[in-house]
Amino acid sequence: MPIFQDNRRLVARIKGLRTCFFLIFLLLFGKLWYIAVLKAEYYKELAKQNQVRIIPMLAPRGIIFDRQGRVLVDNVQSSNLVLFLDKAHDLNRVFNFLRGLNISEEALKERMHVARSRSRYQNVVIKENLSMEEMSYVLAHQNEHPELAIVEEPRRLYRYGPLAAHALGYTGEISDKQLKWTEFVGHHQGDIIGKSGVERTYNPNLTGIDGQRRLLVNSMGRTIEELQSVDSTPGDNLTLTLDLDLQQIAETELGDDPGAVVAFDPVRGDVFVMASHPAFDPNMFATRINRADWARISSDTENPLQNRVIQAEFSPGSTFKVVMAIAGLETGVINQNDTVFCPGGVTLYGHYFHCWKKGGHGTVNMTQAIRQSCNVYFYLLGQKLGIDNIEQYSKRVGLGHISGVDLASEADGLVPSQEWKKKTTGDKWYAGETISVAIGQGAMNVTPIQLARAVGMIATGQEPSLHLIKEAEGYRGPATAVAATTTAPFFKEEHLRVVRDGMWRVVNEFGTGRGALVEGFEVCGKTGTAQTIGNEAKKTLSAEEASKYADNAWFVGFAPRDNPEIVVCVIVQRGKSGGGRAAPIAGKIFRAYWEKKHPPVGPPMPSPLQQVASNAPESPQPASPTNGGGIRQ
Amino acid sequence: MSIRQFLSRFDVLLFGGAMMLAFLGILGVYSASLHGVVSSAFSRQLVWTGLGLVLCFIVFSIDYHYLVDYAFHIYVLSLLLLIGILIFGREINGSKSWLSIGGQNFQPSEVVKVVVILTLTRYLSGLSDDYLKRQSFFILSGIAMLPVCLVVLQGDLGTALMYFPILGGMMLIGGLKFRFVAAVMALALLLAPASWLVLKDYQKQRIMVTFDPSLDPKGIGYQTRQSQIAIGSGGLLGTGIGNGLQSQLGFVPEVHTDFIFALLSEETGLAGACLVLLLYLFVLSRMVRIGEQARDRQGILIITGVASLIFFHVVINVGMALGITPAIGIPLPLLSYGGSSALSTYVALGLALNVHYHRFVY
Repeated sequence: MPIFQDNRRLVARIKGLRTCFFLIFLLLFGKLWYIAVLKAEYYKELAKQNQVRIIPMLAPRGIIFDRQGRVLVDNVQSSNLVLFLDKAHDLNRVFNFLRGLNISEEALKERMHVARSRSRYQNVVIKENLSMEEMSYVLAHQNEHPELAIVEEPRRLYRYGPLAAHALGYTGEISDKQLKWTEFVGHHQGDIIGKSGVERTYNPNLTGIDGQRRLLVNSMGRTIEELQSVDSTPGDNLTLTLDLDLQQIAETELGDDPGAVVAFDPVRGDVFVMASHPAFDPNMFATRINRADWARISSDTENPLQNRVIQAEFSPGSTFKVVMAIAGLETGVINQNDTVFCPGGVTLYGHYFHCWKKGGHGTVNMTQAIRQSCNVYFYLLGQKLGIDNIEQYSKRVGLGHISGVDLASEADGLVPSQEWKKKTTGDKWYAGETISVAIGQGAMNVTPIQLARAVGMIATGQEPSLHLIKEAEGYRGPATAVAATTTAPFFKEEHLRVVRDGMWRVVNEFGTGRGALVEGFEVCGKTGTAQTIGNEAKKTLSAEEASKYADNAWFVGFAPRDNPEIVVCVIVQRGKSGGGRAAPIAGKIFRAYWEKKHPPVGPPMPSPLQQVASNAPESPQPASPTNGGGIRQ
Repeated sequence: MSIRQFLSRFDVLLFGGAMMLAFLGILGVYSASLHGVVSSAFSRQLVWTGLGLVLCFIVFSIDYHYLVDYAFHIYVLSLLLLIGILIFGREINGSKSWLSIGGQNFQPSEVVKVVVILTLTRYLSGLSDDYLKRQSFFILSGIAMLPVCLVVLQGDLGTALMYFPILGGMMLIGGLKFRFVAAVMALALLLAPASWLVLKDYQKQRIMVTFDPSLDPKGIGYQTRQSQIAIGSGGLLGTGIGNGLQSQLGFVPEVHTDFIFALLSEETGLAGACLVLLLYLFVLSRMVRIGEQARDRQGILIITGVASLIFFHVVINVGMALGITPAIGIPLPLLSYGGSSALSTYVALGLALNVHYHRFVY
């Protein structure tokens, strides 16, 4: 080492080093300032998203009971696999993992697409109702997949599958369109709402208040601490007026035929039965329904989603004759004792109108005409009444207008009139058209519930206010739902008695409706075999088409004759004969009602009824006797 | 010598600043060990700090001129040690750079950096010119490159990289001419593509992700992002020691070593982060002052090496936590948990104190 060195230059350079240090540290301070001061809020939010997982706790909907307190709809806990989108950094890894659960990438993407459109929770339900094996598979890999979690959610369970599906309705996620409806005010995206039936009408009652769990999670998705939780409040329970026993009979009897059954108490307005076939299994909608199932249901030409009781419009056929009879008596154009000779047909306005009985009924008065359903009698009555009177009395008994039962989307039906003809075709009403309307054909269209309600008015002389709800805990809905039946007398009691007498004969004096006979129960009724296509067109049909347009079978009646307790209306589409196909179904319901009221004395025998009831599943596996679909497992 | 005399020659400010940093480091490691992240780290860190301080005073107590005199000998021994490790060393995390002594793992390549400082000083101080000749440039580079090559062969690229700032800093102070600087930069630019071939995939990724963290939000970029979230969510005064959720719940990786700055930022807030940076700036500034006052060229050069070493560690590490430098696993001197890093830093500190202590010719 040299003895003396001049180090001044080195000292100068080292001073430069200090400047260099300062400048670069300034850069560090700058970035620190940017992160910790300027973007502090942004990073705090990110930190919260990292660490806090919000898990919605869906409130179970209220339980729905039948009129005897038997559970029709309740909830089961379903273990759902949930994907937290904000934590899913590598979707391909998620897809790979989910292959182990047999979830395809497409199905997952479809659900994620739906979930992305909303912002309330950043999670997607990937699979509902995990099995034990699936749960252990997920839990075993929880550390590698912090973006996945198993969340318990209540799932709607329709205990009897498709039974009374249309009355009960189904639930589903609120759609974007429904979000804007006043009916669903207060609901948010992703909420489960009642989409039809009483699930929809009483949605405000059935809906509970959702809770929320806020969890502190670590980077592995494991819960460290529960921060604060708001428990969910279940929705209010509902008791319906439906009678499970009668409903089951109606559905069993309808079988695979399309058709509808409605039965109610004409005084109190309690609806006992509301059956519509083909039906669907509302359990399918309780989980998020997949596209294939939806396509199958919605494209079915028999329209299983339609509630035929209130939404399907049919020609009433001969059942309309009871309305004609009361109109004739009330207007005074005819007396109950006036007779008509039926030779098997009659020429009116240059057109020959057939009676259904080729040889004719001979001389018939009103009760006989009703009993035998003589067309000629009612052709002539129609001619006397004219379309205006027919219209007026039809509307008086509630035809052409919704029945007001507590379900949404009811159809109006149609009562033809001069005004209607003018409006729709621009043409004037021809007197000949009145003749068809007189036997319930032509443009006349009714829903089963309207027709049943009209017969209910004839049975009691009062206008029933129909409803499916018996009572609701803490009822919050419209107060009119359980309103008492109005008592204003509609028609003269003596006139009503004549019509009822005719209807009694239909069933009890070897009339067309003898299939509905119940010993000791004074059943009154009227059958109908309504054409679904004009006579002229019918002749041109092929055999296959002919069966498609086969006549609809009607029966509508009540019992007992005095102080009636139950009205039943049955339509079996393409049932061909009201007396042959519809009346026996009604008879079974009348009988079941009667036997429930008068249980057989002696040792209790298990009636077929109770057997059906005891077939009700005890385990939370929904029964789906007619629908092979069931819920997806 | 009285205590008063000793204190008048001893740099209390530098030592005090370093101790405050060591204290913050212990605090950080303590916090990281609270929730079982690394439960034994705290007690070990205390031991390492104690050992480091002992080593610091041993180095301090031997006049640095003796150390420089024997620098070449120590240098050769160090190279032999590195070669030995290359053959017999222990592999941890892909680097065969570890020596196991009594169950403790130790990385000699960390301490060899200090040896290189002494060796470069030894050579540079023998030159009387104010500027480096070409021959000297190559000799100096050779001195540094021999251990660098061995460390690279061990697979510890991060540590190897830290030899360059030492070499660069000392050559600059020693009188590197501008054309040399230009030549080195040109060479670096030429070699950069070549280095791309040598780098492992994950190393390339780390460099790329620094420029664009969204390239890999869950992987490499994820670490930086989580670190930024920790720093950004700490607020002014932080969440308190042990309460930083980002750090404690495992979102920030390696909170006790590479990302201890993120942990301290989250738990002691902007105030704590600024304090750490200001303390480093103070320590570095103090070292430069020692260099200015140094008795001879040897002292100036030692200080240059030590300051460069610490400066680059801090800039790379804090820069990584803030997301401005690539995620290279470089410890934060005096703060990060780790024996080798602690020991080499305390040796370096001892050298700086040594130079200050012997600034006057008595």
